Amino acid sequence: MSEPTVLVTEAPDTSHIPVWRLAWRVSQHHKATFWWGWGLFVAFFTVPVLTGWLMGRGFAALQDGRTTVVYAYAGAVLLSETLRMAVIHGAAIVWTQAWVHMQSFLRANLLAAQLASGGEQAGRPVGSAGEAITHFRDDVEDVTMFVDGLVDVSAGIVFTVGAAFVLGTIDMSAAGILLVPLAGIALATRFLDTRIKRYRAADRAAAGAVSGFVGDVMAAATTVKVNGATDPVVRHLGSLVEVRRHTAVRDRVLDDGVQAFARGASDIGLALVVLVGATALSSGRLTVGGLAVFTSYLGYLSFLPRMTGRVLARRKQAGVALDRMRRLVADEDAANATRAVDLPVGMRQTRERPHHHRPARVPLRELEVTGLTAAFADGSGVHDVSFRVRRGDFVVVTGPVGAGKTTLLRAILGLTRGMRTAGEIRWNGEVLADLAAFMVPPNVSFLPQVPQLISDSVADNIGLGPTTADSLELALELAAVRGEVDAMADGRATLIGPRGLRLSGGQRQRVATARALVHSPELVVLDDLSSALDVETELELWSNLAAAGMTVIAVSHRPVAFERADLVVRLEPERQVG
Amino acid sequence: MASTGGATAAPRSRWRALLALLRPHARRWVGLGALVALASGLQLAGPVIVRRVVDEAAGNADAGRLVALAVALLVIAVAAQALLVMVAWFATTTAWLTVNELRLSLVRHVLGLDHEFHRTHTPGELIQRVDGDVTSVSDFLGRVVPKLLGGVAIVLGMIGVLAVLDWRLALGGLAYVGIAGAIVARGRHRAVTEASDEMGAWARVYGGIEERLTASEDLRANGAGPHAMWRFVEESAGAMRSAVRRESAYLRLWWALQAAVAGGTVVALVAGAALVGVGAISLGTAFLLFQYALLIDQPLEDLVHELETVQKANGAMIRVIDLIGIEPKIVDEGTVLPPRGPLSIEFDRVEFDYGDERSVLHDVRLQIEPGRSVGVVGRTGSGKTTLSRLVLRLVEARQGEVRLGGVPVADIPMAELRRRVALVPQEVELFSGSIRDNVTLFDPAPSDAAVADALRRAGLPRLADGDLHRPLGAGGTGLSAGESQLLALARVWLRDPDLVVLDEATARIDPATEALLEGAIAELLRGRTALVIAHRLSTLRHVDDIVVMEGGRVVEHGTRADLAGDADTRFHRLLTLALEEVPT
Repeated sequence: MSEPTVLVTEAPDTSHIPVWRLAWRVSQHHKATFWWGWGLFVAFFTVPVLTGWLMGRGFAALQDGRTTVVYAYAGAVLLSETLRMAVIHGAAIVWTQAWVHMQSFLRANLLAAQLASGGEQAGRPVGSAGEAITHFRDDVEDVTMFVDGLVDVSAGIVFTVGAAFVLGTIDMSAAGILLVPLAGIALATRFLDTRIKRYRAADRAAAGAVSGFVGDVMAAATTVKVNGATDPVVRHLGSLVEVRRHTAVRDRVLDDGVQAFARGASDIGLALVVLVGATALSSGRLTVGGLAVFTSYLGYLSFLPRMTGRVLARRKQAGVALDRMRRLVADEDAANATRAVDLPVGMRQTRERPHHHRPARVPLRELEVTGLTAAFADGSGVHDVSFRVRRGDFVVVTGPVGAGKTTLLRAILGLTRGMRTAGEIRWNGEVLADLAAFMVPPNVSFLPQVPQLISDSVADNIGLGPTTADSLELALELAAVRGEVDAMADGRATLIGPRGLRLSGGQRQRVATARALVHSPELVVLDDLSSALDVETELELWSNLAAAGMTVIAVSHRPVAFERADLVVRLEPERQVG
Repeated sequence: MASTGGATAAPRSRWRALLALLRPHARRWVGLGALVALASGLQLAGPVIVRRVVDEAAGNADAGRLVALAVALLVIAVAAQALLVMVAWFATTTAWLTVNELRLSLVRHVLGLDHEFHRTHTPGELIQRVDGDVTSVSDFLGRVVPKLLGGVAIVLGMIGVLAVLDWRLALGGLAYVGIAGAIVARGRHRAVTEASDEMGAWARVYGGIEERLTASEDLRANGAGPHAMWRFVEESAGAMRSAVRRESAYLRLWWALQAAVAGGTVVALVAGAALVGVGAISLGTAFLLFQYALLIDQPLEDLVHELETVQKANGAMIRVIDLIGIEPKIVDEGTVLPPRGPLSIEFDRVEFDYGDERSVLHDVRLQIEPGRSVGVVGRTGSGKTTLSRLVLRLVEARQGEVRLGGVPVADIPMAELRRRVALVPQEVELFSGSIRDNVTLFDPAPSDAAVADALRRAGLPRLADGDLHRPLGAGGTGLSAGESQLLALARVWLRDPDLVVLDEATARIDPATEALLEGAIAELLRGRTALVIAHRLSTLRHVDDIVVMEGGRVVEHGTRADLAGDADTRFHRLLTLALEEVPT
């Protein structure tokens, strides 16, 4: 059914992304580690200048037949190589830390933007988590790889300057001819630039499609099983991985082509040196010692153009990656992925849980929704809804599928990214500037229709941050789940497994309900509970909330809810009757 | 994870698994070997020419001969690199062909594992196995294997060239390679363990991110960003520790290899001095030794650089093999086909628990005649869903037997069971794909007309009209929770099963819409046995029988009319509570 199609992905225009500036900010996230690692790497790359020179002196002595002097130089070579290895040890350990620091820093910014409840930092929520994981994993890695490459290049420059000086004193014209292959590499990279970018983007898209689909399938494993759909699902995956193979091969061959050219440049360089130095060699002006210095440097000399080529390619990849990461952060501005944050992930850093900032509690007297419209691009959603909630009210929202019940709740909570909105929401008569930032506990809490739990303890899933034992107990009580939690092996510390899968569906729903109540919010917003709770439990919950004097907006279809409601908001597709 | 089971794969089985992987493409891999050998030969030829250059230069050669040698050097250098690009192309293609097969068989395997396995493993973790780990293996095959082969070819060729020049040199070279090899072999094991730990630490970081993104709306709406970020910091700090540990294990190895290379150049110089001094070799040959010592540096550095990939791949292989080693407890060995038509359901003294303190079924006895529709009610945690999982054989009874059409479920071939028993679950998972793909679950067999018909019957004319191949976003963007449930109904319609389990299948649909669907659901249940689990009693208006569960036991079972009419039954009390219907 779905033929393997080769993705024709237009390379995104990344010219608006200040890759260099952002890379600099990434590098300066943890300054000490970065500069310490950088210094050690530069030292590591500079030592071979000495080693090569010593090697040349050794061969010169060998040509002259001074055997004892050769041994002395061999000893000196051994010493300088030992120095090099001592340096690399520190460099590698320090750099690994710098590397993890940079990655964690970028990831923290992406994640914070995705999880922010309003405020300046909030980014547009992503669609599929399986696909988003490639931004957190691969794109972040691409950006750090660019910084990593820059360190290599700067070290390469130091080496090259030193080596050029030594080679220049040996034979100016032979040293000069080496500029030819170096320039060749620069030109080839320039020429292949766009292609590298395009192939990489296509490969990433194909990789995202594969891992996104694998994620869908893994999340839906039971559905696939009970429908006996394993064969067709695997076949579909087969066509996706086939596309991925094509894009990966293209990407890799081009990448290797650029590298091979750079690496071959050292052999080509040696050939050119012999070619240009033929007269000097035959006349003895260029000695075997000199040739030895050339030979020993050439392998390293190709490092700079090779790394420059690679870094230029990585700059493109980093541009693509930043362009993709941009979509996760505030204002779709890539700079927000490199916001300075305090991130104690270091080996010697003490980790203290930071203070959990919540907005100040503003006691609710009255919530007024006036002419509220929130619509998706296709026009579906809610249109011109008005109602008023007083403290202690129990408001029931009802209506058929697709009438926009959830959209209404989300609009009240300020979760309306990507929607067209109009109208006003007033809290005690005041219009709220940043709804999403205000409408969180202790002011408002929300229970979605399909609540998501995380692999953590019961208490952590409810508190989602610091909370007191008393409020936890009260929340468990109100949510009618206390008895069941008591019966669990580790009580409130019981780990509930990935996505809360160790709990039954009803327990998940009620633990999530407790989460919505734990901070004694001024207003509780509950999406349809009746889907997961039996009528007795639902009734118990409404009674509990009423007894606790809570103000509630809830979606329900049950008469038990209507009976108690102070106000019923009935939504119809396209219009509402208050 | 507690339940992964099985010991860590032994190295031998790892290699065997790798070889089994390569076998289908054996010819390609052999061809790759030949290409690599050719490329290595060219790399070795360069220094042989330089040797001539040095000897000529030392012996007052004429510039013309030197120019000719330089041109030959140039041609060889260009050809060698061109070949290396070809190697990359051939190797990547072959590696991906090989590994894609692994990926598919792994997905198939994981889908065949028990419900219990999926209950204890996050999708994020499984993505890492099937996607991340398998890609590591592909990197190994496509990038490392050709380099390794190239390294071996260069070493062998080098010793060959030295043997032609002087047997003592060849012997020295052999000893040198032996020492370097021994060093690698010694450092390898620890580095591998640490790499595996590091991968695990990163898998936790990514798994955590994935889970938080999935729950992002809950977290945002509850101002839980800081809490979730704190967990991320803890996990990243763990990854940092593992990464540094792995790096130091790896450095020790790197150190040893670098010492071998540095030693090589020094030995070349010293040996050159000694042998040239006594006139055993020419200055050019001494230069050749020096060049070869440098030449071996590249493959060795490659090796160490790629050792990370090797370690990753090794760790990945271990986890992949461990995963493959997990056997489903529920095996497909049945051979008995139940009678055609609607199936009867029998629970014969069934006991069940999940191996922890969670809700269990006690001594459940139940007899449901073919074609009856049975509503199952009871508070959450009373065992309703477990009942349905037993019928679907997603879990197996600890004691007692579940029979469909008189045949124990374990004796029914799995394909037959899946064909005849359908589930409409509460949680409906959607795929990023077309509308059609989401109904057929990627099965190309049903016609578009049949798919559209199923959608209409399920109350989704909005999706049925127009192009069925238009995309439906992942996570069901564009579909409400209720509409997703309707889509799940459409899936069942298409399959025409003999037994339908509706587990809160219409719970997210408001009663008004549900009422509209009543006729359609009644039609779906007609001529089939049905188990309808519902909290909302109005959903059960038209079922024949009612089963009331409490604390894992069946406490009431009778026709709906009887139970509703008897004021002493629990069902009657529930109805009264629901204020939905006064028994008549």
